[in-house]
Amino acid sequence: MSVKTTSNDAPSLRTTPPVSGRLALQWVFVVSYLLVFLWSWNKLNMSVFSFFSDLGNVGNLFKRMYPPDFGDTGRIIEAMVETVWMALLGTVGAVILSYPLALAAAHNTTKSKTLRAISRGVITLSRAVPEIILAAIFVAAFGPGPFSGILALALHSIGMIGRLFADAIETATEQPREAVVSVGATKRQTTRSAILPQALPSMIATSLFRFEINLRGSAILGLVGAGGIGQIISESLETIQYRPALAAVLVLFVVILAIEIVSTSVRRSLIGEAANLQLSAQRYSFLKKMFQRRDARVNRAATAERRLSPPWTSERLFRTTMLASAGVLIVTAIVTVNIDWFRAIANFDQISIVLKQMFPPSFSGERSNVFTGLIESFAISVVSTTLGVAVALPLGVAMSRNIIVRRWFSTFMRMFVLALRGIPELIIAVIFVSAMGLGAVPGTLALSVTVAVFGAKLFADTMEEVSPAPREAVVSVGATRPQEFISSVIPQFVSPFVAHFFYLLDVFFRSSTVLGIVGGGGIGFLLLQSIRVFEFQLTTMIVLGVYLIVLAIEWLGLGVRRLYR
Amino acid sequence: MRGDEELVVQGLTNVMNSPGAVEGDAVVSVASLSKKFPNGTLAVDNVSFDVPAGQVLGLLGLSGSGKSTLMRLINGLHQPTSGHVSVLGAVIDECSPSELRDARRNIGFVFQQFGLVGRMTCIENVLVGSLGRLRGPRLGVRMYPKVLRVKALERLERVGLLAQAFQRADTLSGGQMQRVAIARSLMQEPKVLLADEPVASLDPESSIQVLDLISQIAREDGMTVICSLHQVELAVGRTDRLIGLRDGRVVLDRLTAGTDQESVMSLYRRSGTAEAEETRVTQLA
Repeated sequence: MSVKTTSNDAPSLRTTPPVSGRLALQWVFVVSYLLVFLWSWNKLNMSVFSFFSDLGNVGNLFKRMYPPDFGDTGRIIEAMVETVWMALLGTVGAVILSYPLALAAAHNTTKSKTLRAISRGVITLSRAVPEIILAAIFVAAFGPGPFSGILALALHSIGMIGRLFADAIETATEQPREAVVSVGATKRQTTRSAILPQALPSMIATSLFRFEINLRGSAILGLVGAGGIGQIISESLETIQYRPALAAVLVLFVVILAIEIVSTSVRRSLIGEAANLQLSAQRYSFLKKMFQRRDARVNRAATAERRLSPPWTSERLFRTTMLASAGVLIVTAIVTVNIDWFRAIANFDQISIVLKQMFPPSFSGERSNVFTGLIESFAISVVSTTLGVAVALPLGVAMSRNIIVRRWFSTFMRMFVLALRGIPELIIAVIFVSAMGLGAVPGTLALSVTVAVFGAKLFADTMEEVSPAPREAVVSVGATRPQEFISSVIPQFVSPFVAHFFYLLDVFFRSSTVLGIVGGGGIGFLLLQSIRVFEFQLTTMIVLGVYLIVLAIEWLGLGVRRLYR
Repeated sequence: MRGDEELVVQGLTNVMNSPGAVEGDAVVSVASLSKKFPNGTLAVDNVSFDVPAGQVLGLLGLSGSGKSTLMRLINGLHQPTSGHVSVLGAVIDECSPSELRDARRNIGFVFQQFGLVGRMTCIENVLVGSLGRLRGPRLGVRMYPKVLRVKALERLERVGLLAQAFQRADTLSGGQMQRVAIARSLMQEPKVLLADEPVASLDPESSIQVLDLISQIAREDGMTVICSLHQVELAVGRTDRLIGLRDGRVVLDRLTAGTDQESVMSLYRRSGTAEAEETRVTQLA
């Protein structure tokens, strides 16, 4: 057969791509965003020159907090355990509620557009109300204690878990689903056999990730009386006793660190390191080799004996142990947490009383303050997300184990970022406000730190998941590592990066709405005040405003994501 | 003579006795090569052969017989457990990272899964092939010199895809994607082309097109080609020599001329134990 070596079309003399409408729109977006960023920067009176002196003030405050005072360790540990139980039960509640919502929100499991839109709406709505505000509302309804905290965390977490579950379900490849449908499987069987196996690793990783976030979230719920270690930190900070506060923060940090290590190992076991880290996994540790030899032996024996169940390989043993441990932990949490479950459930109608007081929404004479506060919160989120992402990108690269060849370096960077992630954003905001005074600037800088560490992990995880095939092809032509990174990793990273950027903007807009609780600017101060003085109609109005902005960010994000796909 | 050179020459002397080898300078030389993975799998077991300049070698064997591992060892994407590989005089397994990059510039590699970045245009994917000869990283077509861009268009024209130059790679069919991958390799102006099951993911018509293209390029450019394949019928008409692998070992090495398809097919027959097992299972069913 002869080979066609010339094109049907006339030979093109262009050596650069033509400017398509898509490319033009991409540039329009970049320029528009830069303009919004500059406007926000001016709005907040940010200054590059005072930036370093502000950081110096923060450093001085740290000196005043040192050394930590561990005088009341027993109480700290007791509160920490309560915090962990709150985070765990809050996450479990959210996972249970999110699963059906995600199935209803994903286009490959639900055909009805209306049902999908409603589910997406519920998921977005739950994210719009910050957990600390939900906690304040529940504390008003049920009184102080961990029950309010658990409810707040569960409801708020649906926003993230539901959305990421739905994304995981939607990104499952179509072929296995079609294969299962073709043998006559029912809808439930198809979901169970073709979609869930693909989505499950990502879903478990999301749940673990959210558990870590909730740990930090539950630590600040004490600021509004919802129990846990936050109560101790709050009391210490209010009485300007920074040293016991630092002790509580350190305990929180150690616990988060331990949980992160376990969570990362489980995640790695689920996603399968070998596929993604092939290029850097040339060397194997002694322990790994030992496990591989044992697994090979166990696999051979299972095949020889024609066993009907999978062999107990090290990976299966690890997963089963983790699952059993999670079960034991959840039961222990339910039994030992300081909640009278029967009374809490019996009092559930209290929530309807508060809910009634929340409607209809009203400005209660604070119209201009609401608008000013919302605009300031938006500006804070734009500036902090942009600054944070600028730091998160190089940090993410340094943390990716398949990009940085030296494992010790990427591990060190992961630990470093982890250390910063261990401190909740409101605690960082308190520290910045204490050092720099009240206002939006310390709030923005504190939030930038959180965006940087939160984003770095997100970016690193995504870079570890880029397809190794194009990378290998680039390596095979004799390219250097930087060339390989720029020509094969970056182009694969663009699309998820845009998605992550909007996700961060979305998450940190909501965070910026509570900074005011600790004097960090934005709508938060007015929001908390409205709850404290039982002006629940104003609370609803503010939450509605936040929700509308979140919806706008999400809508814009969907369009821009499509543009960069 | 340095120690490593001595080893290579010894290897060459051994393999020149193989039936498929012909007189001429060995461009690729594989000597007593073995690769054992950490999980205990011996993918390549004491393999030796050499390929003279301009020869088109077909590598045949069942899935898991070690073809892909052997290809990757030749390009240095894997390190051998023992033995040596030399390509155009460079001992691949003993090269420093920068020497390995130098060696790879002359070795094109066509992958089964194409290795294209889907959201990049075809021309940019092709330009990636020139990275080995450029300094510094590149992102976007405009970052490559115009002379290379012109060359990339010529390569795309050669594989019949000039009209698709500014189209995203993920909008192409499998056969077209593989042709872009070939154009990327041509951008290297390689002396040796490794094609690892280049048609395994393609339909029969695209498979023939792609293989014809590879053999045409090989003949026109006098390129040495090692191409692993599953389909014996495709290999027979388009290669000069066939090497068959089973369980990582060379079990067949002969010139294609005069070789009938049936005699090569024995490579793909199951072993006696497997056949007996199949019969037993059929009886049970």
